[in-house]
Amino acid sequence: MVGQHHNRRDEEIIVRYTDQPQRLPVELRRLIEAVWGGEPVQLYALADLDESLKLSETWVALGPRHLGFARRIDGRWEVDSVERAEIRGVHEAPGLSSTTLTFFGEAGRPSLARVRYTHRQRRAMENIKFVVEEGLAGRAVGSEGADRAYAEAVAGPIREAQALVAGNRMAVIWRLLSYLRPYRGQVVVGMAAAAVITLVSLVPPFLAGYLIDRIVRPVQDGTMSVAEGSAVAWLAVTAMGVVYLLSQAAALVRLRKMSVLGEWVARDLRTELYEQLQKLSLGFYSRNKTGSLITRMSSDTDRLWEFLAFGVVDVSLSLVMLVGLGAVLLSLDWRLGLVMTLPVPVFCWAIYLHGERISRLFLRAWRKWSRVSDVLSDTIPGIRVVKAFNQEEREKRRFGERNLDVTEEFNRIHHHWTLFWPSLMFAVHVTTLAVWVFAVPRLLGGGDGGAPTLSAGTFVSFLLYTTMFIAPIETIGQMARILNRATSSAHRVFEVLDTEPEIVDVPEPVRLEPVRGRVSFENVSFGYDGVRQVVRGVSFDVMPGEMIGLVGPSGGGKTTLVNLIARFYDATGGVIRIDGVDIRELDTGHYRRQVGMVLQDPYLFHGTVLENIRYGNPEASLEDVIEAARAANAHDFICRLAHGYDTLVGERGQTLSGGERQRVSIARAILHDPRILILDEATSSVDTETERKIQEALDWLVAGRTVFAIAHRLSTLRRASRLLVMKDGRLAEAGTHTELLAKPDGVYRKLYHLQSELR
Amino acid sequence: MKTTAYAKELVKKSQEDLTLERRADGRLWAMKGSEERSVWVRRCFPWSQPARYISLRDNKESEFALVREPGELSDESRAFLEEALVEAGFVLKIVRVLDLDEEVEIRNWQVETEQGPRSFQTRLDDWPRRMPGGGILIRDVAGDLYHVDQPGELDARSRGLLWVFID
Repeated sequence: MVGQHHNRRDEEIIVRYTDQPQRLPVELRRLIEAVWGGEPVQLYALADLDESLKLSETWVALGPRHLGFARRIDGRWEVDSVERAEIRGVHEAPGLSSTTLTFFGEAGRPSLARVRYTHRQRRAMENIKFVVEEGLAGRAVGSEGADRAYAEAVAGPIREAQALVAGNRMAVIWRLLSYLRPYRGQVVVGMAAAAVITLVSLVPPFLAGYLIDRIVRPVQDGTMSVAEGSAVAWLAVTAMGVVYLLSQAAALVRLRKMSVLGEWVARDLRTELYEQLQKLSLGFYSRNKTGSLITRMSSDTDRLWEFLAFGVVDVSLSLVMLVGLGAVLLSLDWRLGLVMTLPVPVFCWAIYLHGERISRLFLRAWRKWSRVSDVLSDTIPGIRVVKAFNQEEREKRRFGERNLDVTEEFNRIHHHWTLFWPSLMFAVHVTTLAVWVFAVPRLLGGGDGGAPTLSAGTFVSFLLYTTMFIAPIETIGQMARILNRATSSAHRVFEVLDTEPEIVDVPEPVRLEPVRGRVSFENVSFGYDGVRQVVRGVSFDVMPGEMIGLVGPSGGGKTTLVNLIARFYDATGGVIRIDGVDIRELDTGHYRRQVGMVLQDPYLFHGTVLENIRYGNPEASLEDVIEAARAANAHDFICRLAHGYDTLVGERGQTLSGGERQRVSIARAILHDPRILILDEATSSVDTETERKIQEALDWLVAGRTVFAIAHRLSTLRRASRLLVMKDGRLAEAGTHTELLAKPDGVYRKLYHLQSELR
Repeated sequence: MKTTAYAKELVKKSQEDLTLERRADGRLWAMKGSEERSVWVRRCFPWSQPARYISLRDNKESEFALVREPGELSDESRAFLEEALVEAGFVLKIVRVLDLDEEVEIRNWQVETEQGPRSFQTRLDDWPRRMPGGGILIRDVAGDLYHVDQPGELDARSRGLLWVFID
């Protein structure tokens, strides 16, 4: 199901973002299979450059016995095929932005076929090259489906960059708003408070007009007594006071409710995100940068808080305010109302355009700012090199030029906005002037002595209402930007939430109580992309308590093998059994508690040495912690630290040396007491003396457990009961040190002698 | 300095007996003394010195020979080398920018290139690179390169769209 979902998404990406078909056209596939006598297309790729390096469409299809090339000539597909048996080799000539792949046959004979393609097609084409070359080496490779392999290869880089096909924006907003559901009571209160603010803000201008027309003027004209006028006037002033009080009380409720509510929603999102991150498999983490995930947890949820707390209410109430104001103005005096309201859409549009313009200016400034940051991130960590090569002056110059450049760019932004806002305000004032121009003759009455058709009070109310136009116009003008920012952040957050974990427990998983530590591989294969396998047909059986040394050249598949044992990934072929039970049947959490790892670069968390040692076993007693530290040769150096076990280790344990961190991680593993222990280059990055201490600690740690130890220095595997030699993803040799040395052309023998010579 | 002179001498000497040919199997072959290997070419300085310092590399990614100055090869070998360089130096050349918009984490480009129309994507924080010979070079998420040789000579709309990326 997960595979089908990925494939659909990859096909969507191809359709949306590239100019090429999402899969091999069905009629062409049928044609190719017909030409091959009914044999299926197992893999295919698009060669998108022709011989003259123009963009074109040539399909390369691979079958069990054929390799086909389909070109469209005069609107019809022409298929050329070569027998795979004729192929003797594949030659790849990579260029800056293209690759030429040549399939050749017998030496001295013309090449069988040659295709050219851009880097976009490279992964799909490499799949074909890989399978053909494996075939030449006599090894058959299965594929998980031609369509899936092609879609994954073409869409992969875009998916990795964007991680999500940008969907319908409104759907994203609705989904985001659904997070408000648990707090609907508070939302109603917050929205009601905001509505109160909007409504009551319309009252003071009305009261001002009322006071002038109904009290001030009648009193001045003598048609109302001063006492009567005063009584009503004070009542109106008191009403105005109540209105202001009510308005600010509502503002308090609105601000507090919505900001607190926004925080709860952001908390819910962060919790959901973090829980999801803990569920996701290592494959997800290798595709996504740490920085990007941290941003999603921090600034994206922050931005969503801002949107939910203020954006939603601001935008909706601004719309209500504009409509309400327009209605009030038109009802007060429709002619003046039209003068005032007609330019409003123009102002909104002007603010929108200004926002777009400023975004472009900011983009340019950010580009230049990134050049300033480049100098900083180069020279601050590399300051020793700068000083050693006496390049301070050059670096100062480089920074100075870029600093000036970015300053000019920011000044350009200031130039724009400082011009825009006064201009906009001037335009608003011109509108007000226009209102005056239309109003004055009506206020004063006609030149022929006719009565005034506009009262002073109505006009004052009108003028006060016009000042209230500015804020909602500004918000509406920025609506597009607010929505853009919120949907971008929501996309990034939902992308993580929607990722399906690759490792999922079966409905009723098995708990091994206790794990004895037998690990069996039965013809196990694994590939990260479904085609190229990094572990191929590996079989072995390790008994509880055995120590297995994994050796072999880099890239041979050793680390992948231990990742499979820890079930960070599931094998794509064959079965891994723990104590005879398929690893996929196990309760992953329970099983992993029985597996310990000591890595080349041990990761210590921010916290004390004590917390780090207790990480896998928080309830362990202090006695046990000290015992584990002693066994790990760590107790002495910890006691030399001023704060002992309570010493804080910084980010990635920076306050400790490499060897010390390693010993803390070994103490952690000892305390964790795993039945299966994985040592991945545990001593490769330390000096000889430290290595000796770590080795002593490891000797203690490995006793009585099933151990898989990866080491480049073969001497560190002297205690191993058996060695497994991995090469090109295969188990090349297995046996004891003596047995392997006895093999005349053995891989281990070669490695061993090479290392002896170096010593 | 002595070392540099010695190295130059070595390179020159190695180049004197270097010949290239395109064989029937379609591959470029390099012969040096009694050795011969099928090779592909890589410019050491594709932008600052595209015509000089060409590394001839075999299938195992090892350098078989370094052509410091193609002019020092025979006419025939040079012609084969130049032909291979056209392939090796291929980048898509943008002649018009049709549209440019931003989505979540990516920038979406629609362009017309000398090779045909093309849509591609770049990461938002992946800025075009200024090239030594002028112009800008854009790298998309798949690693394909797009060169705008003379941005100032493009049509007004393209210039407007590119304005953010050009100093």
